[in-house]
Amino acid sequence: MAFILKYKDLNEEREIPREDYTIKDLLDDLNLSAQTMVSKQNGELVIEDTVIEDGDEIQLVQIIYGG
Amino acid sequence: MQCSKCGNPKVIIKKEQSGQLLCKDCFIESIEKKVIKTVKKEKLLDKGDKVLVALSGGKDSVTTLEILNSFREMNIIDICAVTVDEGIANYRQDGVDIAVRHAQRLGIEHKVVSLKEDYGITLDEIMQRENHKGSCTYCGVFRRTIINKAAREMGATKIATGHNLDDEVQAIMMNYLEGNTDNLTKLGAKTESKAKEFTVKIKPLREIPEREIGLYVVAKDLEVHFDSCPYAMQSFRGEVSEVINQLAEKHPTIKYSTLRGYDKIKNILKKELKKEYPQGRCERCGEPAANELCKACSFLEELGL
Repeated sequence: MAFILKYKDLNEEREIPREDYTIKDLLDDLNLSAQTMVSKQNGELVIEDTVIEDGDEIQLVQIIYGG
Repeated sequence: MQCSKCGNPKVIIKKEQSGQLLCKDCFIESIEKKVIKTVKKEKLLDKGDKVLVALSGGKDSVTTLEILNSFREMNIIDICAVTVDEGIANYRQDGVDIAVRHAQRLGIEHKVVSLKEDYGITLDEIMQRENHKGSCTYCGVFRRTIINKAAREMGATKIATGHNLDDEVQAIMMNYLEGNTDNLTKLGAKTESKAKEFTVKIKPLREIPEREIGLYVVAKDLEVHFDSCPYAMQSFRGEVSEVINQLAEKHPTIKYSTLRGYDKIKNILKKELKKEYPQGRCERCGEPAANELCKACSFLEELGL
């Protein structure tokens, strides 16, 4: 059970660590704030409560930068 | 889970402040309607206005341009834009290029003005000087002066900036915490000056949270410059922003209530606390100035330019 993570220059396959693993859980694991990011699942915008499925491509876009 | 408005199961936002769920189309429509509501409520535009958009190529200014363009398409206003190139290596050029492409896409009059051309120095060069006052101090003053001059040269009757709800609430709290009652009287959706050389400034995005503007540009596939200014540092604004965002996690309506509260006391503040500045002229450039030199020229003198 794995998914592709795309974030900035990162493009890697990651294991889904547990059942009902959400994008919010992923953001927490990456130490990223949901307040500064938007997320896409297989190219479509989704909310952070979305559960990551096997084979998904998850893209994280940082939309808020300091300064 | 489905869109609270149309029932579409593809939800892209859960609004913490209201619990509302929205799909992409309903979200885009809600942002555009809200900005139009602010424009009408605050009387930001008059028929026949020529609005100069201060266009950096970032999400806020691109959204401002995009939504104001709907008024242009209805022949209510005309639009032009100016982009200030501060001279920040490996940062500003991307934003300038994006701004140029948006202006071309919409077919609007656009000019790029650089600090180097206007003042003979880049922000990078200023920052190499000893005893500089900090990047944001110069950037803010020079940019404001350049945008004002551009508005006059292009015949604009209004200047639109991309200030969002987060920017406005940070400014209210910062000025309050610092006891800066003078600056506290200058905030708001529309700011006018007695000096006719200063064009009226409007903030159409003032009631839209920053994150929703970011989501709007991604949802609409608008090209924007997402990057951090290399001179962004741990500023007081940053600290205030962090506290407000922490509070907003448990109290999701706090940014709106801060703005509403300020708007209720704004007129009283202006009446009681607004300072009258002397209406002189800068001896060096002729721009309106409270002292012998305007702020931009006093910085130039200090820099030996």
